[in-house]
Amino acid sequence: MAAFAVLVAIFFAFLTQNRAKDRARVIAVLGGAMIVLSLIVAYVMYPFPLAR
Amino acid sequence: MDDPVQEPSPQPPARPRVSPFLPCFLAWCVPGLGHLSLGRTARAVAFFLVVTATFGLGLASGGTASVVDPQQPLSYLATFDNLALGPLDLVGRSVSLGGLVYRLPEEESSPERQAVMNRMRDRVRMPTYEYGSTFLLTAGLMNILLILDAFDIARGRKD
Repeated sequence: MAAFAVLVAIFFAFLTQNRAKDRARVIAVLGGAMIVLSLIVAYVMYPFPLAR
Repeated sequence: MDDPVQEPSPQPPARPRVSPFLPCFLAWCVPGLGHLSLGRTARAVAFFLVVTATFGLGLASGGTASVVDPQQPLSYLATFDNLALGPLDLVGRSVSLGGLVYRLPEEESSPERQAVMNRMRDRVRMPTYEYGSTFLLTAGLMNILLILDAFDIARGRKD
């Protein structure tokens, strides 16, 4: 999950930004947001079992 | 009193425009090659590393290239997405399906269909199959964006 978040963040950072500083900021914000949101969704979905 | 004469704002330099066909084709062939042909070296290297890493992780995790199944309309979209990777898709199909299979044979008892289904069942049994297939589809989507980005840069719409 972390690898996916980092790869996608790096991709969009280079796609949308021209300067290294801006790219680093996008990587940190986008990658961190994806990881944090994924963990939140995982905790929210924890009470729902895959199969009974 | 006379108003001060306003100096006209300097016009930004016009971006160069080139034919977009070759950069888009190169972007399809190799991730990042289209951007390299347009002089964006750092982006080209980054895109190449990211897309091939995503593709490689997907294959290593048990991801499987999608095949067209007339009974599943979404399979057309997934197969088109895989095709967007260009020659990399040939590698993905050879590794995951054992050959260049793009469409499931319609006859249920066909030995070719059985062979492909057996190969797919082996991949599905891997615990990271879903992640791998997601990585493969993401790599294809990334390359589609790269082709469109190369088009925009070639047409002078962005730097």
